[in-house]
Amino acid sequence: MLKRFALRDLVDDRPQDGVFRINRAMFRDPELFALEMKYVFEGGWVFVGLASQAGNPHDYFTGSIGRVPIVVSRDGKGELRCFVNACPHKGVRLVQKLCGNASRHVCPYHAWTFDSAGVNRFIKWRSGGCYAAGFEQENHDLASVARFGEYRGFLFASLNPNVPSLEEFLGETRKLLDLVVDKSPDGIELVPGRVCFTYQANWKMQLENCADQYHFTSTHPSYIRILEQRAREQAAEVVRSTLGGTSFWQEEASGIVGGSCSFDHGHALNWGIMPVSNDQPDFERAEGLAREHGVAKRNWMFNMRNVTIFPNLQIAENASSQMRVIRPIAPDLTEMQTWCIAPKGESARARTLRIRQYEDFFNPTGMATPDDTVCYEEAQYGMAEQERPWLQGHARGFAASVAGGNNYVDLIDLKPARSVLSNASLADESLFASYYRAWAARMAEALT
Amino acid sequence: MTALGSADAAAFLYREALLLDRGDYDAWLELYTPDCLFWMPAWRDDGTQTEDPDRELSLIFYRGRRNLEDRVQRIRSPVSAASRVMPRVAHMIGNVLAEPVDGGTRVRIDSSFIVNVQDIRSHRTHAYFGRYEHELRLENGAWKISQKIIRLMNDVVPTMVDVYGI
Repeated sequence: MLKRFALRDLVDDRPQDGVFRINRAMFRDPELFALEMKYVFEGGWVFVGLASQAGNPHDYFTGSIGRVPIVVSRDGKGELRCFVNACPHKGVRLVQKLCGNASRHVCPYHAWTFDSAGVNRFIKWRSGGCYAAGFEQENHDLASVARFGEYRGFLFASLNPNVPSLEEFLGETRKLLDLVVDKSPDGIELVPGRVCFTYQANWKMQLENCADQYHFTSTHPSYIRILEQRAREQAAEVVRSTLGGTSFWQEEASGIVGGSCSFDHGHALNWGIMPVSNDQPDFERAEGLAREHGVAKRNWMFNMRNVTIFPNLQIAENASSQMRVIRPIAPDLTEMQTWCIAPKGESARARTLRIRQYEDFFNPTGMATPDDTVCYEEAQYGMAEQERPWLQGHARGFAASVAGGNNYVDLIDLKPARSVLSNASLADESLFASYYRAWAARMAEALT
Repeated sequence: MTALGSADAAAFLYREALLLDRGDYDAWLELYTPDCLFWMPAWRDDGTQTEDPDRELSLIFYRGRRNLEDRVQRIRSPVSAASRVMPRVAHMIGNVLAEPVDGGTRVRIDSSFIVNVQDIRSHRTHAYFGRYEHELRLENGAWKISQKIIRLMNDVVPTMVDVYGI
């Protein structure tokens, strides 16, 4: 139990007084960070990867849940499994590669060997080892994670067995994952080429930024100017942007431009209206998608949608389509694993457009993400302990937030816990409360 | 028309590096043909890089100098947080091997690079390293870069890297 902070010192959640505030200690304190690893990341459901990353028998990929290394492996019968990636013998990381195919995994230290279902197949010099009864009674297989589940190719795991079902955890956000997966009858895949970057700031900066409509025009004006210039010049050699023909982010736009939804268990959606336009690679399927799913759901597939599945998965569909996995390393260091996520079977032309749009905007070597991550790092300086601990960044939209949905999200039968409809300059921040309420729920065991 | 020898090829690469180190981006852009390829592949897994930029992700993929001009415009923009305090950079190039192509009308140059970056804003230094694959072409009597492939060996980008840091 951490004595220095009580929950109410960290999350000042008083809706009746019109107050929702976050203490900046949550972004810098090493003891809180250790508790977050234990209770947020190792204490509940986290995203671990896509089923398509291990598509064939004996395919595997490695990753982590909090501080614990894991391997996701498809066994010889085709069933996906998730293990702690550590040999029971001495704790040595069993699988070193990022991904691959192997029916046997041999520990590099003493050659204990496991099959793709995690079963121990070999203990070197076992018969001559003079082991006593205690050793023989132990389980020598790889340790399975406590809970492991899949929703339409998205794989989640929990090291803590006492969690709600995956279905309940995801709740209404399953409909948001459907919007991603249903773009193709064959589902989605990751475009080959994983891009990994770090930033020297807290993981919750990324958690928030994905749902932060307020930052776009002030953080990315250098990119917006290039978009405007490209739109004027129509040069053939530059990529066509999905955002150029949209107005949801522009201050002068009129009427409802989008909004936010927050869900139980910490999930959030920031969305904006985008036209069904040939600036988007999915345009080639626009008519078929409308026939198959109805016009309303099709139109939602073309909308800007930034989805966060708390605490570590984000799917951003705006300038292109990105899947991000957040991996906290230290209070002030975060690793981001990012991929271009795409509908299977799209035309070569659409795929190339999607990739070019992605590189332009999302890469740490591109023209937008660096301005975000640098701002996270600048924010980290300001997280130092100081006289006024409370941040003022979770207040916009408070007075516009309503319980339940609205007539826009009704079109896809989406039933959020709370929602906000935005005009051009509202740019809701109240949806972040969803993150911190889930954070508080997972941390409640450690903080009073 | 004269073929470009190994020493001249190396000097050409050193000059490109010097322009980036000095921040003379206008002169740097002048080294490229209007239709140039500027490509930095990503890593598919531990050991292989992406090979087909139309089907696989790259860190940077541009066909056309115009794209590099956009990058320079953004670097110079006062409203890019990532470019407000410009890092100091120093390129080191070695292992230069030049080979004439098409009877000397083009030349392919392989080289190795290290770019040391002092990020003043965050008080950090980074080293980016890998291999360049240049192809030069004669344009109006001057050698220009028609293709530059940057094979970055770093797996994790610390925050960001822009065209002057690779």
